[in-house]
Amino acid sequence: MESDITHRGDGVAVLALRGKLNMVTAPVVRETITALVGDGHSRVVVDLAEVPFLDSSGLGALIAGLKSARQAGGDLRIAAPSEQTRLVLRLTNMERVLTPYDTAEEAFARA
Amino acid sequence: MPDTVSHSLALSTPPDDVNAVHELLERVWDSSAGVPDLDRFSFETALIELASNVIRHADGGGGVSCRLAVTVHGDRLEATLMDTGEPGDIRLSDAELPDDLAESGRGIPLIRALVDVVEYDREADANRWFISRSLAR
Repeated sequence: MESDITHRGDGVAVLALRGKLNMVTAPVVRETITALVGDGHSRVVVDLAEVPFLDSSGLGALIAGLKSARQAGGDLRIAAPSEQTRLVLRLTNMERVLTPYDTAEEAFARA
Repeated sequence: MPDTVSHSLALSTPPDDVNAVHELLERVWDSSAGVPDLDRFSFETALIELASNVIRHADGGGGVSCRLAVTVHGDRLEATLMDTGEPGDIRLSDAELPDDLAESGRGIPLIRALVDVVEYDREADANRWFISRSLAR
Protein backbone atom coordinates (compact mmCIF):
# COMPACT_ATOMS: atom_id res chain seq x y z
CA MET A 1 0.00 0.00 0.00
CA GLU A 2 1.48 3.30 -1.11
CA SER A 3 0.12 6.65 -0.06
CA ASP A 4 0.56 10.35 -0.81
CA ILE A 5 -0.55 13.19 1.44
CA THR A 6 -1.47 16.59 0.00
CA HIS A 7 -2.13 19.50 2.35
CA ARG A 8 -4.61 21.81 0.66
CA GLY A 9 -4.74 25.55 1.13
CA ASP A 10 -8.04 25.26 3.02
CA GLY A 11 -6.43 23.06 5.69
CA VAL A 12 -7.83 19.78 4.40
CA ALA A 13 -5.39 16.87 4.17
CA VAL A 14 -5.93 14.53 1.21
CA LEU A 15 -4.60 11.02 1.76
CA ALA A 16 -4.40 9.24 -1.61
CA LEU A 17 -4.02 5.48 -1.24
CA ARG A 18 -2.78 3.08 -3.90
CA GLY A 19 -3.38 -0.67 -3.65
CA LYS A 20 -5.76 -3.13 -2.01
CA LEU A 21 -7.10 -2.18 1.40
CA ASN A 22 -7.38 -5.52 3.25
CA MET A 23 -6.20 -7.10 6.52
CA VAL A 24 -2.58 -6.78 5.37
CA THR A 25 -2.68 -3.04 4.65
CA ALA A 26 -5.44 -1.85 7.03
CA PRO A 27 -3.11 -1.42 10.07
CA VAL A 28 -0.78 0.86 8.07
CA VAL A 29 -3.70 2.99 6.84
CA ARG A 30 -5.08 3.24 10.36
CA GLU A 31 -1.69 4.41 11.69
CA THR A 32 -1.23 6.88 8.83
CA ILE A 33 -4.59 8.55 9.55
CA THR A 34 -3.98 8.56 13.31
CA ALA A 35 -0.60 10.24 12.78
CA LEU A 36 -2.14 12.81 10.42
CA VAL A 37 -4.84 13.71 12.96
CA GLY A 38 -2.24 13.71 15.76
CA ASP A 39 -0.24 16.28 13.79
CA GLY A 40 -3.24 18.61 13.85
CA HIS A 41 -4.85 17.71 10.54
CA SER A 42 -8.34 16.76 11.64
CA ARG A 43 -10.10 17.33 8.30
CA VAL A 44 -9.07 14.38 6.15
CA VAL A 45 -10.16 13.13 2.73
CA VAL A 46 -9.19 9.55 1.90
CA ASP A 47 -8.93 9.39 -1.89
CA LEU A 48 -9.76 5.82 -2.99
CA ALA A 49 -9.39 6.39 -6.75
CA GLU A 50 -6.43 3.97 -6.88
CA VAL A 51 -7.86 1.42 -4.43
CA PRO A 52 -9.41 -1.40 -6.47
CA PHE A 53 -10.45 -3.45 -3.43
CA LEU A 54 -11.61 -2.70 0.11
CA ASP A 55 -12.91 -5.25 2.64
CA SER A 56 -14.26 -5.10 6.20
CA SER A 57 -10.72 -4.73 7.60
CA GLY A 58 -10.22 -1.69 5.39
CA LEU A 59 -13.61 -0.36 6.46
CA GLY A 60 -12.51 -0.78 10.08
CA ALA A 61 -9.39 1.32 9.44
CA LEU A 62 -11.48 4.11 7.87
CA ILE A 63 -13.95 4.03 10.78
CA ALA A 64 -11.05 4.24 13.27
CA GLY A 65 -9.77 7.24 11.30
CA LEU A 66 -13.22 8.82 11.25
CA LYS A 67 -13.48 8.50 15.03
CA SER A 68 -10.06 10.04 15.67
CA ALA A 69 -10.77 12.89 13.25
CA ARG A 70 -14.11 13.63 14.94
CA GLN A 71 -12.55 13.46 18.42
CA ALA A 72 -10.14 16.16 17.24
CA GLY A 73 -13.03 18.32 16.07
CA GLY A 74 -12.76 17.44 12.39
CA ASP A 75 -14.12 14.81 10.06
CA LEU A 76 -13.00 12.11 7.62
CA ARG A 77 -14.58 11.74 4.20
CA ILE A 78 -13.94 9.37 1.34
CA ALA A 79 -13.67 10.13 -2.36
CA ALA A 80 -13.78 8.19 -5.63
CA PRO A 81 -14.52 4.67 -4.33
CA SER A 82 -14.53 1.83 -6.86
CA GLU A 83 -17.71 -0.08 -7.74
CA GLN A 84 -16.50 -2.86 -5.40
CA THR A 85 -16.06 -0.43 -2.53
CA ARG A 86 -19.47 1.19 -3.15
CA LEU A 87 -21.02 -2.28 -2.94
CA VAL A 88 -19.24 -3.01 0.36
CA LEU A 89 -20.41 0.35 1.78
CA ARG A 90 -23.99 -0.35 0.65
CA LEU A 91 -24.16 -3.91 2.00
CA THR A 92 -22.78 -2.86 5.38
CA ASN A 93 -25.10 0.19 5.63
CA MET A 94 -22.04 2.42 5.93
CA GLU A 95 -22.94 4.88 3.18
CA ARG A 96 -24.61 7.10 5.78
CA VAL A 97 -21.48 7.16 7.93
CA LEU A 98 -18.82 7.21 5.21
CA THR A 99 -20.64 9.06 2.45
CA PRO A 100 -18.73 8.68 -0.81
CA TYR A 101 -17.89 11.83 -2.77
CA ASP A 102 -17.03 11.64 -6.45
CA THR A 103 -13.77 13.55 -6.08
CA ALA A 104 -11.44 14.66 -3.26
CA GLU A 105 -12.18 18.29 -4.20
CA GLU A 106 -15.90 17.85 -3.56
CA ALA A 107 -15.47 16.06 -0.23
CA PHE A 108 -15.01 19.23 1.81
CA ALA A 109 -16.40 21.77 -0.65
CA ARG A 110 -19.46 22.33 1.54
CA ALA A 111 -17.62 22.32 4.86
CA MET B 1 -15.64 -20.00 -21.64
CA PRO B 2 -15.03 -23.69 -20.84
CA ASP B 3 -17.69 -25.34 -18.69
CA THR B 4 -15.52 -25.79 -15.61
CA VAL B 5 -12.14 -24.33 -14.67
CA SER B 6 -10.47 -25.06 -11.31
CA HIS B 7 -7.54 -23.32 -9.64
CA SER B 8 -6.02 -24.18 -6.32
CA LEU B 9 -3.54 -22.86 -3.85
CA ALA B 10 -1.72 -24.08 -0.73
CA LEU B 11 -1.17 -21.32 1.78
CA SER B 12 0.66 -21.19 5.11
CA THR B 13 0.46 -18.23 7.47
CA PRO B 14 2.88 -16.73 8.22
CA PRO B 15 4.46 -15.73 5.86
CA ASP B 16 1.59 -16.08 3.37
CA ASP B 17 -1.36 -13.74 3.73
CA VAL B 18 -4.63 -12.89 1.96
CA ASN B 19 -2.71 -11.32 -0.93
CA ALA B 20 -2.00 -14.90 -2.06
CA VAL B 21 -5.77 -15.32 -2.44
CA HIS B 22 -6.00 -12.14 -4.52
CA GLU B 23 -3.21 -13.51 -6.75
CA LEU B 24 -5.02 -16.83 -7.20
CA LEU B 25 -8.18 -14.97 -8.20
CA GLU B 26 -6.24 -12.92 -10.75
CA ARG B 27 -5.32 -16.20 -12.44
CA VAL B 28 -8.93 -17.36 -12.22
CA TRP B 29 -10.27 -14.18 -13.87
CA ASP B 30 -7.54 -14.29 -16.52
CA SER B 31 -8.68 -17.73 -17.61
CA SER B 32 -12.42 -17.02 -17.33
CA ALA B 33 -12.91 -13.76 -19.18
CA GLY B 34 -16.68 -14.19 -19.40
CA VAL B 35 -17.41 -13.68 -15.69
CA PRO B 36 -19.18 -10.31 -15.22
CA ASP B 37 -17.45 -7.65 -13.09
CA LEU B 38 -20.15 -7.59 -10.41
CA ASP B 39 -19.81 -11.35 -9.91
CA ARG B 40 -16.01 -11.12 -9.83
CA PHE B 41 -15.72 -8.48 -7.17
CA SER B 42 -18.63 -9.81 -5.11
CA PHE B 43 -17.10 -13.30 -5.03
CA GLU B 44 -13.58 -11.93 -4.43
CA THR B 45 -14.82 -9.86 -1.48
CA ALA B 46 -16.60 -12.86 0.08
CA LEU B 47 -13.58 -15.12 -0.36
CA ILE B 48 -11.13 -12.55 1.06
CA GLU B 49 -13.45 -12.04 4.06
CA LEU B 50 -13.58 -15.80 4.59
CA ALA B 51 -9.80 -16.26 4.29
CA SER B 52 -9.20 -13.26 6.57
CA ASN B 53 -11.47 -14.80 9.20
CA VAL B 54 -9.67 -18.15 8.99
CA ILE B 55 -6.22 -16.53 9.22
CA ARG B 56 -7.25 -14.23 12.08
CA HIS B 57 -9.05 -16.97 13.99
CA ALA B 58 -6.17 -19.41 13.65
CA ASP B 59 -3.57 -16.87 14.58
CA GLY B 60 -3.10 -18.25 18.08
CA GLY B 61 0.63 -18.24 17.48
CA GLY B 62 1.25 -21.24 15.27
CA GLY B 63 -0.28 -19.90 12.09
CA VAL B 64 -2.47 -22.01 9.84
CA SER B 65 -2.16 -24.10 6.68
CA CYS B 66 -4.94 -23.84 4.12
CA ARG B 67 -5.83 -25.42 0.84
CA LEU B 68 -8.05 -23.30 -1.36
CA ALA B 69 -9.79 -24.38 -4.55
CA VAL B 70 -11.79 -22.02 -6.75
CA THR B 71 -13.97 -23.41 -9.52
CA VAL B 72 -15.69 -21.47 -12.28
CA HIS B 73 -18.75 -23.32 -13.55
CA GLY B 74 -20.86 -22.13 -16.45
CA ASP B 75 -23.50 -20.80 -14.05
CA ARG B 76 -21.72 -20.23 -10.72
CA LEU B 77 -18.47 -19.55 -8.86
CA GLU B 78 -17.44 -21.85 -6.01
CA ALA B 79 -14.63 -21.91 -3.48
CA THR B 80 -13.66 -24.54 -0.92
CA LEU B 81 -11.23 -23.59 1.82
CA MET B 82 -9.80 -26.31 4.10
CA ASP B 83 -7.73 -25.21 7.08
CA THR B 84 -5.90 -26.96 9.89
CA GLY B 85 -6.91 -24.44 12.53
CA GLU B 86 -8.97 -25.04 15.65
CA PRO B 87 -12.64 -25.94 15.11
CA GLY B 88 -14.28 -22.83 13.73
CA ASP B 89 -16.57 -21.08 16.16
CA ILE B 90 -17.34 -18.38 13.63
CA ARG B 91 -21.10 -18.13 13.81
CA LEU B 92 -22.50 -18.13 10.32
CA SER B 93 -26.12 -17.79 11.34
CA ASP B 94 -26.34 -14.69 13.52
CA ALA B 95 -24.80 -12.40 10.99
CA GLU B 96 -26.12 -9.02 12.10
CA LEU B 97 -24.25 -5.85 11.31
CA PRO B 98 -22.57 -4.19 14.31
CA ASP B 99 -23.01 -0.55 15.41
CA ASP B 100 -22.09 2.11 12.86
CA LEU B 101 -18.83 3.04 14.55
CA ALA B 102 -17.69 -0.51 15.39
CA GLU B 103 -14.36 -1.27 13.73
CA SER B 104 -14.96 -5.00 13.20
CA GLY B 105 -17.75 -7.57 12.93
CA ARG B 106 -18.85 -6.96 9.32
CA GLY B 107 -17.04 -9.87 7.65
CA ILE B 108 -19.64 -12.61 8.09
CA PRO B 109 -22.65 -10.38 7.25
CA LEU B 110 -20.78 -9.30 4.10
CA ILE B 111 -20.08 -12.90 3.06
CA ARG B 112 -23.73 -13.79 3.51
CA ALA B 113 -24.83 -10.80 1.43
CA LEU B 114 -22.39 -11.54 -1.40
CA VAL B 115 -22.82 -15.27 -2.03
CA ASP B 116 -25.79 -17.62 -2.27
CA VAL B 117 -24.38 -20.53 -0.26
CA VAL B 118 -22.11 -20.51 2.79
CA GLU B 119 -21.34 -23.83 4.50
CA TYR B 120 -19.04 -24.94 7.28
CA ASP B 121 -18.13 -28.52 8.27
CA ARG B 122 -15.54 -29.97 10.58
CA GLU B 123 -13.91 -32.89 8.74
CA ALA B 124 -11.34 -35.01 10.63
CA ASP B 125 -8.75 -32.45 11.78
CA ALA B 126 -9.67 -29.73 9.33
CA ASN B 127 -12.28 -27.02 8.88
CA ARG B 128 -14.03 -27.00 5.53
CA TRP B 129 -15.61 -23.80 4.28
CA PHE B 130 -17.62 -23.62 1.08
CA ILE B 131 -19.11 -20.63 -0.73
CA SER B 132 -21.02 -20.42 -4.01
CA ARG B 133 -22.38 -17.51 -6.04
CA SER B 134 -24.70 -17.87 -9.02
CA LEU B 135 -23.62 -15.89 -12.07
CA ALA B 136 -25.73 -13.05 -13.39
CA ARG B 137 -27.39 -13.89 -16.68
